[in-house]
Amino acid sequence: MRDRLEALRRDGLAAVSESQDLDTLYGVESRLLGRTGALTAELKGLGKLSPEDRPVVGKLANEIKQALQGALDERRTAIESAELAADLAGEGLDPSLPGSNAPKGGVHPVLAIARELEDLFSSMGYVVWDGPEIETEVHNFDALNIPPDHPAREGHDTIWMDVEEGSARRCLRTHTSPVQVRALREFGAPLRVIAPGRVFRQEAQDATHDHTFHQMEGLVVDKGVGVPHMLHAMNSLLEGVFGRKLETRLRPGFFPFVEPGFELDARCPFCKDGCKVCKGSTWIELMPGGLVHPNVLIAAGLDPEEYSGFAFGLGLSRIAMLRYGINDIRWMMGGDLRFLEQFQA
Amino acid sequence: MKISLNWIGDFVDLSGVSAEKVSNLLSLHTAEVEGIEVYGEAIQDVVVGHVVACGQHPDAEKLSVTEVDFGGEENVAVVCGAPNVRVGLKIAFAPVGSSLPGDLKIKKAKLRGQESRGMICSERELEMSEEHDGIMELPEDAPIGVPLIDYLELRDHILELDNKSLTHRPDLWGHYGFARELSALLQRTLKPLPIDVAWPEAKSAWSVQRTDAEGCAVYSALEIELGGAPRNSNPFISRRLLAVGQRLVNDVVDLSNYVMLEIGQPTHAFDASTISGKAIEVRAAQEGESIVTLDGVDRALIPEDLVIADAKQAIALAGVMGGKHTEVSDTTERIVLEAAAFHATRVRRTAHRLALRSEASSRFEKTLDPAYAAEATARFCHLLLQDRPEAKILGVPSISAEPVADSIQLPLDPVKTSKLLGISLREEEMVSMLEGIGFSPVKKGEGYLVKVPSWRSTKDVTLPIDLVEEVGRMFGYDRIVPAALEAPVEVPVQQPQRLLARKLVNRLVLAHAAHETQSYSFLDCAWAERLGRKISDFERLDNPVLAEVSLIRRDPIPSLLEQAAGNLNEFGQGRLCEVAKGYEPQAGIEPLERRWLGVVEWGEKSLPKQGQESLFGRMRGLGEDLMRSVGVAKEQLSIQPQNAELTAPDWAHPVQTLHWSLGGQPLGWSTRVHPQLLRELDFGAHDCSILLFDLEALSVATQDRHPSFETPSRFPGIKVDVALALPDDKSYAEVEIALKKAGGKLLDSLELFDVYTGEGMADGQRSLAFRCLLRAADRTLSDKEEQKFLRKVDFAAIELGGNLRS
Ligand SMILES: [Zn+2]
Repeated sequence: MRDRLEALRRDGLAAVSESQDLDTLYGVESRLLGRTGALTAELKGLGKLSPEDRPVVGKLANEIKQALQGALDERRTAIESAELAADLAGEGLDPSLPGSNAPKGGVHPVLAIARELEDLFSSMGYVVWDGPEIETEVHNFDALNIPPDHPAREGHDTIWMDVEEGSARRCLRTHTSPVQVRALREFGAPLRVIAPGRVFRQEAQDATHDHTFHQMEGLVVDKGVGVPHMLHAMNSLLEGVFGRKLETRLRPGFFPFVEPGFELDARCPFCKDGCKVCKGSTWIELMPGGLVHPNVLIAAGLDPEEYSGFAFGLGLSRIAMLRYGINDIRWMMGGDLRFLEQFQA
Repeated sequence: MKISLNWIGDFVDLSGVSAEKVSNLLSLHTAEVEGIEVYGEAIQDVVVGHVVACGQHPDAEKLSVTEVDFGGEENVAVVCGAPNVRVGLKIAFAPVGSSLPGDLKIKKAKLRGQESRGMICSERELEMSEEHDGIMELPEDAPIGVPLIDYLELRDHILELDNKSLTHRPDLWGHYGFARELSALLQRTLKPLPIDVAWPEAKSAWSVQRTDAEGCAVYSALEIELGGAPRNSNPFISRRLLAVGQRLVNDVVDLSNYVMLEIGQPTHAFDASTISGKAIEVRAAQEGESIVTLDGVDRALIPEDLVIADAKQAIALAGVMGGKHTEVSDTTERIVLEAAAFHATRVRRTAHRLALRSEASSRFEKTLDPAYAAEATARFCHLLLQDRPEAKILGVPSISAEPVADSIQLPLDPVKTSKLLGISLREEEMVSMLEGIGFSPVKKGEGYLVKVPSWRSTKDVTLPIDLVEEVGRMFGYDRIVPAALEAPVEVPVQQPQRLLARKLVNRLVLAHAAHETQSYSFLDCAWAERLGRKISDFERLDNPVLAEVSLIRRDPIPSLLEQAAGNLNEFGQGRLCEVAKGYEPQAGIEPLERRWLGVVEWGEKSLPKQGQESLFGRMRGLGEDLMRSVGVAKEQLSIQPQNAELTAPDWAHPVQTLHWSLGGQPLGWSTRVHPQLLRELDFGAHDCSILLFDLEALSVATQDRHPSFETPSRFPGIKVDVALALPDDKSYAEVEIALKKAGGKLLDSLELFDVYTGEGMADGQRSLAFRCLLRAADRTLSDKEEQKFLRKVDFAAIELGGNLRS
């Protein structure tokens, strides 16, 4: 037995020192000291020895066990240090290899802006509302104080629906403005509402024109509402879109459903002293607006002597083109992934 | 429209006011100025020269060789072909190195062997008139070497106005209207338009009848004897017209244009000798009538068109274009001058129908002040007689007109005006602003009664609010200070489908790498057949942009499929989604509108046809995840294969089609796209799946659903893998139900991880392998319970006609 123990010590220490990695070392350890290991078996055999041999051999066995355990621990530390050193040395590692491909999805740029503005205006108490894309002539034109013989009603501007003989005319809405009257009829006054959505024009397609594009209407009706409130809302909107305050100015503009009517110009966000976007003027025309025409309030069932309001319209497609530098409006509705992929969620 | 500041200067003193200042004032108070052009820049190098010697070219009969002094260091030799070149003449000279209109650069040249260093210019070469018979002759006292534009005071600033910003302002279609605005804005005097004419005593021999009175509010005709054939306009008129881009014709036509550009009122001159009789009629065109217009085109007319007719025929298309037959020619001796106010819409429609929009028609479209007609006639005569003292006006104008309407009077409430505009203005200031642009306020009670001038009455200013605009724009909108709304912010009403759509799109984009798109609402008519539908199943366009693309989609899938097909070349796989509206016709009432969420995914055909790796399976998984994101667990959904009670969508595969519902509420479909449809759309080696949810239904079904928390068990579960050999006509769905029954409450989850057929399996059998997790909330499960589960599974397998394999 002594010889077997000595042999275990000799072979064990050799196996330990020959182990090159932690897995091998773990194998050696369990072969020697594990539940069914060789030394464990010997220790279990101690009981069969004579009482006089037992302490001596037992002492030896424990010495060997400690020696082996010590060697194992030492070897483990050595291997771990070596592995750490090798890992840190970075041998064979090319840190410039590409990363994994995370799945890519994205939101449509126009809708991204629309949602930002929905959040902004919601926080200011505006309802986000919409109306049908197939609109009645009454809502799209009549209720908006657009005269019966106005050129906008003709087939070269408006896409009309083919309706049954004798029924009221319907068109694809040419602007988001019909939501003004729809929302006022739904909620009454006072009201704050925005209405983003798609609109349609009878228009040949080119880089700056499409027959389908996106707008956002804004409307506030209450007692004592005037031009300063409109200007404040428009400025807030631009701050939301461009991420900073822009200097703006109001000048006259004409739209049948507002009086007075305005165009809002903003200082070109892309230059200091003139560029292609602002055609060198440092101002860009961004938003029409005005005080709601009394006839529109009447069409919505309100008394213009009691209530006043303002409305503005934002060309969402145009704003998206400006913000992202999109050179051709036809990208917007084309579904080309080479376009869509460039916009993140 | 172009306006010349020199021309404006005839009526209001602009001295000391820069063109930029004028441009800014107009943009901020009146109408949008799009640009400023400096007229004369193109000939700024041209100087006054003096011909000091002139002789015959030795080798060319028609050329002269001259010596020109132009104030340079030395005189230069110049070859000139003009018949009127002679010694002593003062000329317009373009020296070597200068440039002329049309990007012409003057270089040293040799003409038939004779050196020529510069060019002696005609008026046409300087774009000063159409005159090109000879070189321009300057007065003898013209100072040599001085730039021509300075000597002739040609320098002008031309403002380009945005016509769209003038549509509501009939008074701004001539220079005088802008002069009026500027006089108010600069607070300088507005000079009256010189229109004094010594009218003859004689009565006119002409009669005017407005048969179509609705089409024409005023018609004035006046015969004038020219006292000589039409000729080139004088340099002043020529320059003015050229500066604002008006083509020159002859002095009669040019003068008519001049008056139009000054007042905004078009006039038309007929050759009097070509008119049959002396009675002019304004009437609707007759059925089948036609007229050859000035441009030589024979035009068929319809009764909506308005014509000017003599005893025999139509002689002009009212407000649009004159007739060829009555055109003023080189030999015209007498003219009949027409000045009228035609019906705006009818002129517009005729001009548009015949593609004949002109300077004149675009002015009539604005509903001109009826008073302009008399003013324009007088102004024409005033200018003509200045230029042609020999001309004779034959009688007073023959006028037929609607009675002059009472002028519009509108109340002005100064307090309300200030409040709406957010400015503080004293009453007197408001009054003087309005007076500055021709309005006449009279104090009445608390406020004022304001008389609107005729040139603003035709459509622009008709309501009290219109006066608020006038005060506001004169004050300057750019001076208004923004202010937040005063009312407190209330929590706004929300549109539930809108919120839902946003959640779902977020989930699709962030968790499923979908790209949100926008596609057109229009469909090509071919889609009706592709979908096996009738054209009448769709809402249709009356005047589509493209003739064939005249249907409105019922749901977004066809347009999404088109977009997917368009991407196949660059992208072998992809996922697009869109929140869209669809429309279905309903007899007698407005179309039914639905809001959809559509998802389309395409990939290689080589993908498995079924199971979790297939496009069809992925779409189901995606739909389940979307539902989970809005608070609906997979277990709550009913996802059923198509059956007799459900009609699958037109584009769906007949078998791989699942109908989704929640608590009895139908929600939508997930399907593989019908292979025949994919073939027609040229999908080639690609396959495609679809998910379509009705957002309205989904928002009703998911209203107020919030996931409730369940405390996870503290006790470990047991993972048990089971494989069942089953007849392959047993659907997964049936097997799942059986296993769930077998597991009872202890079955925590169940996951299919393998479907196998082939070696080792009997014909007509397949193996489904599941990973089951058994767990109890209150204890660690025993081996016995695991064995019991396996026995139940075995029993279930046998009931399904198969057996438990492991
Ligand atoms: Zn710029």
